[in-house]
Order: sequence, then structure tokens, then C-alpha cells
Amino acid sequence: MTLQPTSKEFKANVSAALADPNLRQAMGQAGGGLAAKRAVAVAALPEFEALRDAARDVKNHTLTHLDLYLEKYEAQVEASGGQVHWAQTADEASKIVLDIVARAAEARGADDGKAIVNKGKSMISEEIGLNQALEAAGHTVVETDLGEYIIQLRGEHPSHIIAPAVHVTKAQVEEDFRAAHTQFAPDRRFPDAASLVREARAVLREKYFQADVGITGANMLIAETGQSVIVTNEGNGDLTQSLGCIHVVIASLEKIVPTLEDASTILRVLGRSATGQAMSVYTTFSRGPRRDEDPDGPEEYHVVLLDNGRTSMLGGEFQDMLRCIRCGACMNHCPVYQTVGGHAYGWVYPGPMGAVLTPNFIGVEEGGHLPNASTFCGRCESVCPMRIPLPKMMRHWREREFEQRLSPAPTRYGLDFWAFFAIRPTLYHWAARWAVWKMKLFARGEGSLGWLPFAGAWTKHRDFPTPEGRTFQQLWAQRQREREQDMRGVG
Amino acid sequence: MSGARDEILSRIRRAEWATADSEGRRRAEVEQRLAARAQTAPIPGIARLEGAARVERFVEQLQAVQGAVTRLPDLAALPEALSNELRQRNLPQAIRKGADPDFAGLDWGALETSDGPGRIEEPATLTRAFSAAAETGTLMLTSGPDNPVTLTFLGETHFVVLRASEIEAGLEGAWARLRAAGLDPRTVNLVTGPSRTADIEQTLELGAHGPVALHLFLIEDA
Repeated sequence: MTLQPTSKEFKANVSAALADPNLRQAMGQAGGGLAAKRAVAVAALPEFEALRDAARDVKNHTLTHLDLYLEKYEAQVEASGGQVHWAQTADEASKIVLDIVARAAEARGADDGKAIVNKGKSMISEEIGLNQALEAAGHTVVETDLGEYIIQLRGEHPSHIIAPAVHVTKAQVEEDFRAAHTQFAPDRRFPDAASLVREARAVLREKYFQADVGITGANMLIAETGQSVIVTNEGNGDLTQSLGCIHVVIASLEKIVPTLEDASTILRVLGRSATGQAMSVYTTFSRGPRRDEDPDGPEEYHVVLLDNGRTSMLGGEFQDMLRCIRCGACMNHCPVYQTVGGHAYGWVYPGPMGAVLTPNFIGVEEGGHLPNASTFCGRCESVCPMRIPLPKMMRHWREREFEQRLSPAPTRYGLDFWAFFAIRPTLYHWAARWAVWKMKLFARGEGSLGWLPFAGAWTKHRDFPTPEGRTFQQLWAQRQREREQDMRGVG
Repeated sequence: MSGARDEILSRIRRAEWATADSEGRRRAEVEQRLAARAQTAPIPGIARLEGAARVERFVEQLQAVQGAVTRLPDLAALPEALSNELRQRNLPQAIRKGADPDFAGLDWGALETSDGPGRIEEPATLTRAFSAAAETGTLMLTSGPDNPVTLTFLGETHFVVLRASEIEAGLEGAWARLRAAGLDPRTVNLVTGPSRTADIEQTLELGAHGPVALHLFLIEDA
């Protein structure tokens, strides 16, 4: 019951996104903010590049010993009184959580078998479609991260992995709160964002105390200690896991790191890459259920370890993607993401990391468009704290898409047409010279062209610059001649 | 679901690097790394400061993330300082706290104190940090009867007590201190400033779900 992908309709999604004034406004306000904050934080830490190398090496070491670290981790969780549940698929993971939740409802003595489930922010929960599964079983699900709460009210999905409601304007949030929070005076005013935050705080504070189960994700799992780690700014994840009777952690298995020292290295690049914070406000390491003498904390602690196709990425050309720590830097720096927003990508993970991950989860037939949603400018790789070669992996997908003849017909014919010339250099030169001359003629002395044959969709939103009059090969040949003359002059 | 466990582990062991290497050698590498807690990464200069520079870095960093700091000569000065701070913040003269031995012997005067976990409305809570990392102004708190975890998140204003001698340069020092003390708490909470969110149009607001204000009483014993 996972999210129905619309990645196949990427082009239509983009057209809709470009025509949506609210999205334009929201993205315009957010655009570049996180990227600028990252730049400041990175500049303040001289060792940042060396830490990126070290963080990459921690993950590479862990991935090539993943089976053994998972065994160590499991033994530690069990030693602390917690339980580890292994899930191969999204449905298996949902089923495990549903069983735990049903037991919690029974333990409370709920006549109808329905439980109240609070949630901290978790992308794995989106990946496995957990909210839909819980709601279908009649349970009440409360998202407690403010951004997640807003999109839950709107019946939407996150459009960014760390700023899920980045596509929503303040005016839209105000409308949603008025519709949902009917317990307050309808004529109350929301002069600023602070007034909205205060209202959500008051509403959710009560919910924390009503929950049977608290579900969180995990930014890391630590093999040495059996701890799960959440990194947040709001404190909702901590209230969720501390006030529910049962704490369920849902995490994918590549989240594991060997030691607390390794976790510290990753923390030093995570916050800076994500929001420009040297440390996020709350980084919490949880081990097992509450101790006998503890006055608070959950009575049970469960970890659901999800594979969902990740182990099939090991040892192959997509293994590097398993280093991803979900900071969002790639999408904060992606010109495509910043223009179309996250929903256009049509599934759970947007931006460059989503373009690489999505075809893995939903297949290249469904998600094969996404690796094409790139200008190959390389900014994503240049800011990735784990040095994941995102453009290279998008190219791998493009190759697979082409091999499987999934690319659209015009693309294939166009490439065949181009290849016909490209393997015949003399013909290519003559054709290029003719095209450049013709374009210059069409432009009639103007600097740009408003229309080109076969490129109407492209020129609809932009002009094509008129060529200077000579082809690249001509200019290159001239430069080479000049260089040779210079060399002779020096000699 | 032990079937799933075995399937997953055997799929991992089919990867090229696993079949190319002996399991014995891979196991030895893992044991060695866990036992040595190898420091493979560089520790930044900001996480290597000593003495007064370390304390100054810690205070500066905490203030940079909207944390407030009051320095006290000793623990005995805490009740009066707390009472003053409550008054200045227009809060009632009452505090919810953990049963930390450091708090037990103090004369709280007119201040109403109670021990226990956080309740739905807590204007002010007081907890005792275990350590801190100067590099980022981060407090380390460990849950237990002396330090209920909910007090860290439910207080509208969260007061924390820390001795200057407990401040470590970086996270690594704080982990070493935790291991040396033999503590095994349900949660280790690293706290760097009061709660915040930027989920509405990227506007930074303090007090999303946790404390609106974080105030540290730093006991100058170093």
C-alpha cells in the first residue's frame, strides 16, 4: 500500500508545477536559503573537506562489512531489552508495525482495538506507506513534526526530505489551521509565523500525552552500543518516543555505523550540509526501553530494519548511493529541484538523490524519467557530504533506460539522427556549418532566436542565442593554428 | 521473522566484496574497529581546545544558538540565581526537577520544588547535564531518575546545571567520559540551544515543541 508513483508523468508534473502560483511563491521564498546557510557553515570549518572524506570512508567500510555490523547491532539491541524485526519489503515492514500497534491497543484495553500512533519525521515511513496502512486498519496517526503535521492536514506528501512543507505558503497553513482547529475562535488572527507555531504547539502538546505508540525514524544506528539516533530541531521526535508506551524505530539497514566516534564524524557533516547548523538542536541516542528505576520513557523498544531492495545495490554500480545520510544538500543546490519542487518527481524521494534512488524502488520503467531531470551541472556531487557521484549514477540509469528501449521515440530517433553525422566527421562539419549559417540568417542580426524547428517546447519559455557565425570545430582549429604559431615564435 | 533476517544477511554476503574476502578476516576487522573505537577521522581544531579557551568557546557557541548562560561561583548560589531568573522571566517561583544528588543538599528557600517527570504544562524545569562539547556549545544529558528525559523537552523554559570542569573539547571527549562513568542510560540527549522550527516559509521560530528558552547555570569550578 505504498505511495502510487507518478514519476512516469514527470513531464506533465513539471508543467503543472511551473503553472502553480503558490508553488512559485513558496519555492521563491525558500530558494537558496539553505544553500547559503550551508556555505557559511562550511567556510567556518577548515577541516570540512577532510571530514567529508572521513565520513565517506566510514560508510564505505561499514557497507563492505554490513552483515557483520548488523549482527553486532542486533545483539546489542537485544542485550538492552529491545527487539529487532527484519523486513525485506515495504509490506513486511508495515505488517510488523501493524502487529505492534494492535498489541498496544489491546494492552490499553481499547474496546475497538484502535490505537493512537504519534510519529516523528521519517522518510522510511513514507517509503513503506505506513500512514495509509495504519489508517486503513482504523488507527489514528498524528504527525508531530510541524512540516509533516501541515502536509498531513493537507493530505499531501513531503516535497523535501528535511523541509517537508517547503512548497506551502504561510497563507495556506493559516487556511489549513482554521479548517482543522475548530476548537479555537474562528476570528483569531495569525499576524506572523510565530502565531501559527504557537497554535500547533498547543494542539500537539495534548496529543503527545494521548499516544499509545510513538514511531520515529533513525538518522543512524550504532553497532557498538545498539543505539538508534534521531537528529531534529523541534523536539517532537523526543516527545513522541518518550511519552508513548511503545517506541518503534523504523530504519533502513544502511543507517548503521560502527561506533560513537564514527557517528560523531557524520554528525559534523550532517547538520552543516542540511541546514548550515554546526549541530542540530536535538541529537538523541536511544537504547532499549526505560530502565526499572526510570520515571519516564517507553516500556517497549522495537526496531524495524528495512531492506526494500537496498541489499541488491551492494557490490554494484549503485552501492555508493547507500552512503546517503538524507541531508538534502543535493536538492538545495539543484537548479531543476529548485524550479519544479519535490512533488513533480512523483514518488517519495525528490531531487538528485531521488532521481538515483527512485528507479531502484519502483523500477526503471516507472522512474526512468527522473535521471533525465538533470542538467548535469554537478552541484549535487560537489556539495554531497558523503561524496556520492550522483551525476554518474544518473548516467547509469539513462544508459539502462536506453538499453531497455524505454526512452521516448523522438529521443531515440534524434539520437540516431545525430549519430549518423557524428560518426562521419566531414559530413558533421559541413552540416554544422550549414546550420550555424542558417540560424544566423534567420536571426536577421538579432542576438537570439524565439523559435527553432523541432525545439518549439524549449523556445516557448526561452530564447536561443544566435551562433556567432562559426562552429566549435572551426574555432578550435583556428586556436590550434594560433598556438602552433606562438610556439614557433617562442622557439 | 527469522526468514527475512537470514535472507537479508545472505544477500549481503553475495556481494562481490564479500565473496572476494574471507569472512574470518572481515570479522576480525569489525572486532578490531569496535574494540579500538578507532579514531579514523580528523578531529577539528574547534574540538581540541584546552582550559579557559575551551570554556569560552562553549559559552560563545551556546549563546550563538540562543542559549543563555549565567556563571555561578558554586552550587550553593544556584537557588537564588534560579529564583532571580524566574522573576525576570515572569515565571512562578516553582521548579520541576530531577532527583540529582547535587540538588538534594541545597537550600531552596521560598522556591517551590518538586521532583519527577514532565507534565503537560511545565513553565520551568531544571536538569543536570552530564557533560558538554565546547566545539558546538552542545550539552550532554543522560536520562534516569536524577534526570527524567521529559524535563528536557516539556519545560517552557529549561534550566540546566553544568560544572565547567565537565566541559569536553569535542564529542569524542564526552563519549569517553560517558564510557568511563559506566553509564547506560535509556537516552543520551545532545542539546544545542532551545527548540526551533523553520517549517513555515523558512522563518526561524523558537519553541516549536520543546523549550522556548534554554538557560544554563555554569558552575565555575575549573
